[in-house]
Amino acid sequence: MSRDGWRKKASEDDGWGGRGGYMAAKISKLEEQFQKDAPSEKQKDGTSSCIFSGVAIYVNGYTDPSADELRRLMMLHGGQFHLYYTRSKTTHIIATNLPNRKIQDLKGEKVVRPEWITDSIKAGRQLSYVQYQLYMKQKGLNYSSVCARGKQDTSSIHEPSKPSLNHLQSDSIKPQPSHTQTLSTEVLKSTHANHKANFTERSNHQLDVRLNGSCSIISEEDAERPRVNGIHDGDDDDVDDNACALLPRGSQDTLLTNGYVHPVNAALKPQDSFAELQLHVVDTGSHQSHLPQTESRDREEPSCSSSGSKANSHQRSLISTASPAKQPGLHSMQKDLHPKPTSNPGTSAAPQKGNLHDQTRVRLNGSYHMTPNSSTLADSSNPPGRSAAGAEAGIISEFFSRSRLHHISTWRNEFSEYVNALQSRSRAAGGAVFSGQEKLKKLRANCSSGSLMAAPQVRQSCILHVDMDCFFVSVAVRHRPDLKGKPVAVTSNRGPGRVAQRPGANPQLEFQYYQRKQQQYRKEKTDGDLEMTPSPQCDEVPSNGVDLDLAALSMAEIASCSYEARQAGVRNGMFFGRAKQLCPDLQSVPYDFQAYKEVALSMYETLASYTHNIEALSCDEALVDATNLLVELGVTSDDLARAIREDIKEKTGCTASVGMGSNILLARMATRKAKPNGQYFLRSEEVDDFIRGQPVSSLPGVGRSMSSKLTSLGVSTCGDLQQLSISRLQREFGPRTGQTLFRFCRGLDDRPVRSEKERKSVSAEMNYNIRFTQVEEAESFLTNLSMEVQKRMEGAGLRGRRITLKVMMRKPGAPVEPAKYGGHGICDNFARSVLLAQPTDSGQLIAAEAIKLFYAMKLDVKDMRGVGLQVQQLEGSYADPSGQGPSRGRSIKDLLLAKQPAHSPRKDPPAQDGLTGPSSSRAFSSNQERVTPPSSPPSTSSDPMPGTSKGGLHHPHTPNHVRTYLNVSIEVPSPSQVDQSVLEALPVDIRKQVEQSWRHREEQPSTSSHLSTPPRTSSSPPPGPSLGTLVLQLQNQPGQPCTTGIILELPDVSQVDPEVFAALPRELQDELCSAYRNKGNAQAQGITVGKKNPFPQLKQPAVGKLKRRYKKRNASPAKKGPSPLKKLFPGNSPAKSSPSKTLPLPLKHPGLKTENVQCPSSPSTDVPETLSKFNPRPVPTLAGAYEFSDIRTLLREWVTSISEPMEEDILQVVKYCTELVEDKDLEKLYLVIKYMKRLMQQSSESVWSMAFDFILDNVQVVVQQTYGSTLKIT
Amino acid sequence: MIFYKRDAPLFIKGCCIYFGCFSMATLTRQDLNFGQVVADILCEFLEVAIHLILYVREIYPSGIFQKRKKYNVPVQMSCHPELNQYIQDTLHCVKPLIQKNEAEKVVMVIMDKEHHPVERFVFEISQPPLLSISSETLLSHVEQLLRAMILKISVCDAVLDNNPPGCTFTLLVHTREAATRNMEKVQVIKDFPWIVADEQEVHMEEAKLIPLKTMTSDILKMQLYVEERTQKN
Repeated sequence: MSRDGWRKKASEDDGWGGRGGYMAAKISKLEEQFQKDAPSEKQKDGTSSCIFSGVAIYVNGYTDPSADELRRLMMLHGGQFHLYYTRSKTTHIIATNLPNRKIQDLKGEKVVRPEWITDSIKAGRQLSYVQYQLYMKQKGLNYSSVCARGKQDTSSIHEPSKPSLNHLQSDSIKPQPSHTQTLSTEVLKSTHANHKANFTERSNHQLDVRLNGSCSIISEEDAERPRVNGIHDGDDDDVDDNACALLPRGSQDTLLTNGYVHPVNAALKPQDSFAELQLHVVDTGSHQSHLPQTESRDREEPSCSSSGSKANSHQRSLISTASPAKQPGLHSMQKDLHPKPTSNPGTSAAPQKGNLHDQTRVRLNGSYHMTPNSSTLADSSNPPGRSAAGAEAGIISEFFSRSRLHHISTWRNEFSEYVNALQSRSRAAGGAVFSGQEKLKKLRANCSSGSLMAAPQVRQSCILHVDMDCFFVSVAVRHRPDLKGKPVAVTSNRGPGRVAQRPGANPQLEFQYYQRKQQQYRKEKTDGDLEMTPSPQCDEVPSNGVDLDLAALSMAEIASCSYEARQAGVRNGMFFGRAKQLCPDLQSVPYDFQAYKEVALSMYETLASYTHNIEALSCDEALVDATNLLVELGVTSDDLARAIREDIKEKTGCTASVGMGSNILLARMATRKAKPNGQYFLRSEEVDDFIRGQPVSSLPGVGRSMSSKLTSLGVSTCGDLQQLSISRLQREFGPRTGQTLFRFCRGLDDRPVRSEKERKSVSAEMNYNIRFTQVEEAESFLTNLSMEVQKRMEGAGLRGRRITLKVMMRKPGAPVEPAKYGGHGICDNFARSVLLAQPTDSGQLIAAEAIKLFYAMKLDVKDMRGVGLQVQQLEGSYADPSGQGPSRGRSIKDLLLAKQPAHSPRKDPPAQDGLTGPSSSRAFSSNQERVTPPSSPPSTSSDPMPGTSKGGLHHPHTPNHVRTYLNVSIEVPSPSQVDQSVLEALPVDIRKQVEQSWRHREEQPSTSSHLSTPPRTSSSPPPGPSLGTLVLQLQNQPGQPCTTGIILELPDVSQVDPEVFAALPRELQDELCSAYRNKGNAQAQGITVGKKNPFPQLKQPAVGKLKRRYKKRNASPAKKGPSPLKKLFPGNSPAKSSPSKTLPLPLKHPGLKTENVQCPSSPSTDVPETLSKFNPRPVPTLAGAYEFSDIRTLLREWVTSISEPMEEDILQVVKYCTELVEDKDLEKLYLVIKYMKRLMQQSSESVWSMAFDFILDNVQVVVQQTYGSTLKIT
Repeated sequence: MIFYKRDAPLFIKGCCIYFGCFSMATLTRQDLNFGQVVADILCEFLEVAIHLILYVREIYPSGIFQKRKKYNVPVQMSCHPELNQYIQDTLHCVKPLIQKNEAEKVVMVIMDKEHHPVERFVFEISQPPLLSISSETLLSHVEQLLRAMILKISVCDAVLDNNPPGCTFTLLVHTREAATRNMEKVQVIKDFPWIVADEQEVHMEEAKLIPLKTMTSDILKMQLYVEERTQKN
């Protein structure tokens, strides 16, 4: 918060810009003052020391001794005192008491009681702060949740189906997954050769097929599977499988595919191919005749490779090593893994095997989708006609269980979890044993005692960036000394790098497209500045047209290459064919995922033996915050880095480079200088010179588009960037990015080393091998993709509210077949998103929404090349929402949800909330299990929740006479009110409970809410239907077998909207009238109703009560709420979760429909809430605010006091705006929008302007629908 | 619906009609039914508003307008008899519709030379169905609201782009449901029939909506917004 405040100030052009803004200047001035005062203070006191050298404290709140005294003490004893808290500089926070909010904000910081200082002074040395930590338990809490997550994840690692750390691209420069990577220039060159190669290849495969001879049904089945499996292999251009798996191509084609896709599976990490091969055996094992066939096919592959099909040759040899080796053990493995197939191996005949097999595949991957065709496909004697969906069912989970893309995503997370687990373990053990530390200590002790003095006196933060040198290569070369010193590349291709071209593909065109794109970049650059040094991305562009003729090269990307190869111009991510041209003696090495994992793990273990302050960046790089470590050990950072590097080298056999700096940015930059196999400490004094020479593209977050934009501004190095003012940068790049750039190019970076990172989104995307022919295919694909997302969300324990569908469509004019097999080629990207009312992780729901989005986009399925689903706005699914990280926006909803018992029906998919009878009646019954004994309820008559203003809904004919309290306890109605037939229809256990509670009640008759006590409990419903309640007989409810009656508490007569009343059917009107009459008779003390009232004869009993309640409620949002948000949306969650949930049945009634639809839409606190039952259009209010001035105040408070808007709140605003449109109050809408625009776009946080855009977009849609035109917002 | 083509502007001076001929007192007469009261108030207001819009949007040269006082604020009224007649006739025909609560919107469309609309001033009217007028304070409140709306119109050129030269205007009425059928039966004014509006006049491409004012009173709820073509020239 405070930091944001500074930024805002710094961003203003206030003349302090040169010194990094006013605050920065002030802080440095304070520091100077402190330094200046220190000597004199020391003189005065006489008892100075250097106990606290390197310590910088920040005093937060009241302390004893006072902040002034502490400041003095720090002066005396060599410490630093910060008046303002800076994450990177302040080492300790001194406090005796902190509010919860701050504790969460300061999570991970050292919050220490002041006694630490006084005791340290007493002891004459700096004591360990650990015993003095203010809130130990707070940390424990954080980590416990982390642990739980960690466990989940680690368990999933052990599942064979889940891919463990497999990911190819070690190089940090190109972390982008290769198949989304734009085809770079190498495409350009691989054109013609493709043609030739392809022909030879093709004929080979035909040979294959013939060799296999009688391709039986099973082999067809197999043909399907490999195709499916092959998809994972995103960047193997020669994986000749196709989403045409979906459409039945010619049988020859499928066979062809079969021929050389299979090996690819073996090229994957062994575990995967296990699974794959196991399936083989599942097929063949029970039906022996097939076994030889499959095996023989496997064996044939390698032999083919020798016969000239070069593109696949390396994969083939792979399978020759991998798959046959695995096969012996398969039978036994298969037993534990696939209980189902093995349980009935003999029973099913061959044709059905295919089916079984299908099912197992799905299960194997741990996804829960049903293969829809598994039953219909029983007759697999017709394999080519097999429906696409079948192949598809497994396709996605297969894809993801093997996709390197997926590995990339899990890779880092896993190490993060690993680090977290280490931390929590050591915490549990009460302190970790750091073997590395010990070693280093010993080492230091062995050194001359002089080194003790050499230990750094000034404590300075020091971040180590540990990065393995060309990770994949060095792992591969470990055991192959013959390759050392030679140009080596890790890639999936090992031939000379030529492949045949497929029909429909037009690599030249794609090449031209990308070349043009590159040229465009250049043009922009030259336009901007003539003396531009080309950015590194441009360097790769071969501008000579000669290369064009050399096309048809392998398009397998190089995941990593050795430094020798790099010297020859080979780059990571280059296509192998091209690389081979540049460096003819380039050796290619296959992937070895198991080894990568081992090495990476041992690297992390090594690091963890020094400290647990590790942030996992990827498999081969990590950040280490060594600040404390250095102080503790008293060694220099260079010593530490050397020790770490030696350790890693010793344990893994691979070299690592270490960059060191005072912050993350500098450490990373230093690594560049340190490479290869070196270390470099970027000292603060050389930072300026160093960074000025760095190209902007070396800054984190500066990618191609940004660097081209910067180039157009005439900026190529950080030095150039420093010339730009912060306001200029913010204008160009937005407030946040501009600020970041401004700081980064000066080497400033206060990101902390975080061992735990919060997830922002969960997604699944597939843009390889997407070739649909029919809409249904796309639909079922989306469904399956949603299931994959569900799986991931479940794995992460998250639910999300925003669902985004991303679709890649073939660009009009682009070739139908892209140059890269199964790739997406040149595409246009489309994305659409939808916001759900409640977070979900249900795959079905996501699928439904995604399909809706998909139809809304009106795309031609044939041109779809990629589909992705992303779920954002996550919250923990089971964890206490308030326990989420501090970075999350805060909303009242969190608080309320936190207060609510865990059984608030989060499991219910939101779409069902309060909509249909069956689901909600289930909610009732589940609630009922927690029924409190009926003795207590009347006491809560004045419950404060707005949701209960409905007074509870009565279902006298259903046994659950539901009353909604804050804690969602339910009152059981008296037996007389219960419809016997309904009671009988209830499940036995519930019925028993109900009956039991009656018995219970009879024992304590005095406490039950009987007719004698209505006045006191008037806000809770009178028990009998005769009193002020209305019985609605709902007939012929669809899906509602028994007729159910509902009793609603009648609102005041004055609140009955005459229009609605008039619109009601005759019988209902009568019923209402009589109900009111009854009410009036029963409670004669009612007040006569004003003459406007349509039912003058009726009395109105509860007026006084209601008024009081209004008052109370009106007062509270205005005065009580400490946070503006509380004011904003007081009724938010309770209104949503309790009343609407228990109010599903009236929804069904046509007469009441409108109002109930409206009722949740009104922010539902004050009068409108109570009115809403019979008023069709309540005045739109925002958190109870109606007047524009109030709304303005609310909005202003919301925007100014919260740094990141909560989705809930945004939605409320949108809802309010929508209501304004419906209410035909455009003027107010216009004012509100304009006011928000002013507020939010002024805000320093770009989130706010995004929030505004979101609101505006939504409002415009509504306005468009209503008025046919959109608001003019200037 | 009505379509009116503007004649060449005439310049007439000195023609002075006191416009505020309906006084509030007449409206509160007990014998008038509620719908009639609302219709009178509304038509009176609409007349003022239309004149004012014509002035503000410079559809006619400012010479034909004269300053008057209405709702206690200065307004500009045209002195061109034919123009005034057109407006009056139109509103006269609209009145029965309003009376029966059958008019949903009264729209003043400003069109360019090609008769493509450039601006539409939409008066969206909705009446509460069942309420009656009880006191006079209510009407004075309505007057205040109408005044606010008039004032808003007089400054609306600040939020609108300039119109191309040579604009004309027409008045449209959006009726509810099947009100048109009845309309054709009863011709309020002789030789002044309603015509169904051309799609061309109703439909405006890439319109931007600018809300001007909303008023909510017990007898009437009305909002005025402008739909403006994005590219006017």
